Amino acid sequence: MLTIENLSVSYGSVQALRDVSLTVPPGRVTAVIGANGAGKSTLMRTLAGLVRPRSGTVHMNGEDITGMSPEDIVRRGVALVPEGRSTIPDLTVGENLRLGGLWRTSAQRNASESRVFALFPILAERRSMRADTLSGGERQQLAIGRALMCGPQALLLDEPSLGLAPLIVTQILELVERLARESGMAVLLVEQNAATALRVAKTGIVLNLGQIVMSGRAADIASDEQLRHAYLGY
Amino acid sequence: MDTFVNFFLGGFANGAVIALMALALVLVWRSSRVVNFAQVGQAMFTSFVGLTVVDLTGSWILGLVIAIAAGAVLGLIIHFLVMRPVRRADSSGAIIATFGVLIALQALAAMIWGGDPRAYPTPVSYSGITVFGRVIAITPYDIFVIVAMVILVLILTIVLTRTKLGLSMRASAFNPEVARLSGVRVSRMLAAGWIIAGMVGAVAGVLVAPTATLSPNSFDIFLVFAFTAAVIGGLDSLVGAVTFGIGTGLLLSLVTGYSDASNAALVALILLALNLWFKPEGAFNHHKARSV
Repeated sequence: MLTIENLSVSYGSVQALRDVSLTVPPGRVTAVIGANGAGKSTLMRTLAGLVRPRSGTVHMNGEDITGMSPEDIVRRGVALVPEGRSTIPDLTVGENLRLGGLWRTSAQRNASESRVFALFPILAERRSMRADTLSGGERQQLAIGRALMCGPQALLLDEPSLGLAPLIVTQILELVERLARESGMAVLLVEQNAATALRVAKTGIVLNLGQIVMSGRAADIASDEQLRHAYLGY
Repeated sequence: MDTFVNFFLGGFANGAVIALMALALVLVWRSSRVVNFAQVGQAMFTSFVGLTVVDLTGSWILGLVIAIAAGAVLGLIIHFLVMRPVRRADSSGAIIATFGVLIALQALAAMIWGGDPRAYPTPVSYSGITVFGRVIAITPYDIFVIVAMVILVLILTIVLTRTKLGLSMRASAFNPEVARLSGVRVSRMLAAGWIIAGMVGAVAGVLVAPTATLSPNSFDIFLVFAFTAAVIGGLDSLVGAVTFGIGTGLLLSLVTGYSDASNAALVALILLALNLWFKPEGAFNHHKARSV
């Protein structure tokens, strides 16, 4: 369980997040939606340790991880798949995967690797090819696979749908939902594409200008037309 | 024809040393994005440490081992004492800092060991081999140098491509953010780059010292050669550094043989200029050029 309390983040004089509180429970997907510049990516990067919060706390399974480095946060079971297909094109598919969780024992790593290959069979086929030979959808699978290699209990997905065909997005998100359900992982999903995100998520929050304007069951958010017009623009 | 073959063979061993120096430059560049002009100073300083050990113990191999260890320590010291503090400045600040380190190391070496050139012993003979009654320009020591370079390149290749450390170092070089998110302690990988480069440079220094004599400034010219080879190779490419290191050695040997040794540096600079003019991204680099 990932618990976020009163998190505020500033870039210089610009406040990117204001008093955000949220719990991400295990076994299901929690969605963060909102327009461009609402603070979604800032939230994810702060949780992963890439950005330091000005105030507020983040706890992972009861342990305070606020202000820790990304290297230490990932060791405590919180893995981020950053925006824009975070694979390293100069490395092979296999190397990209092995990079995740190098600190873990080889038994743990092998177990994670077989799980990733079962989930994304194409990665097993392409393991000795350079990552830049993969298609966009395959690269997103590789990015998620690398994060899973870290053995996370909380998976943070930042805009996995960016630049992908709708069918592939649906496939990937349904896979993630099943993964959360079956492995008991807590998944926090950031999406600009609200309709898709709310389909796989149980609960969600809507961010606007760094503040939570609504939180609740995903179905309720999806059916609130006023909210959709005001903050999601469709 | 005889002379041509002799000049050509003589260039190989020199090329091997240039290749090692270029490798050291590439290793630091890949980890820190800094061109380390102090590399030849580090090689010179650690060679003096090696020579001191040889003088004390009479063992060439022990001198090499201690020089390599000194290279690792010196690399680490420079990384922590100089490079980390200036990293907050822009990259030209870091490059100028490496020049400062070079000058400081030369001054320090002159204070400890004096400015006179010293002879560095060889582990095997350094006189031409006789084949069919003719003396050819390649010596047992030249062969020793080439073999040593090949072994070192093989070890480096295995470390970089087959070990966790190598994967972490490459990932940190290509994409530090993804590396950190994967749990790699990127700042340690920068230090590892300086340590390994220091060790490679130390080997290069000990190997070239017997042929060039050792003084605080005697390796300066190798900076020009190694820098040329590393840049033509693309600065990011280990294969490029080795290929063009040996190539530069061969070419310089021909230039020295047919004209005069003083023209070697000029030819290296012309090569560098031509490369920057026509293929600034380097011959072995797939990424687009860095503009100046």
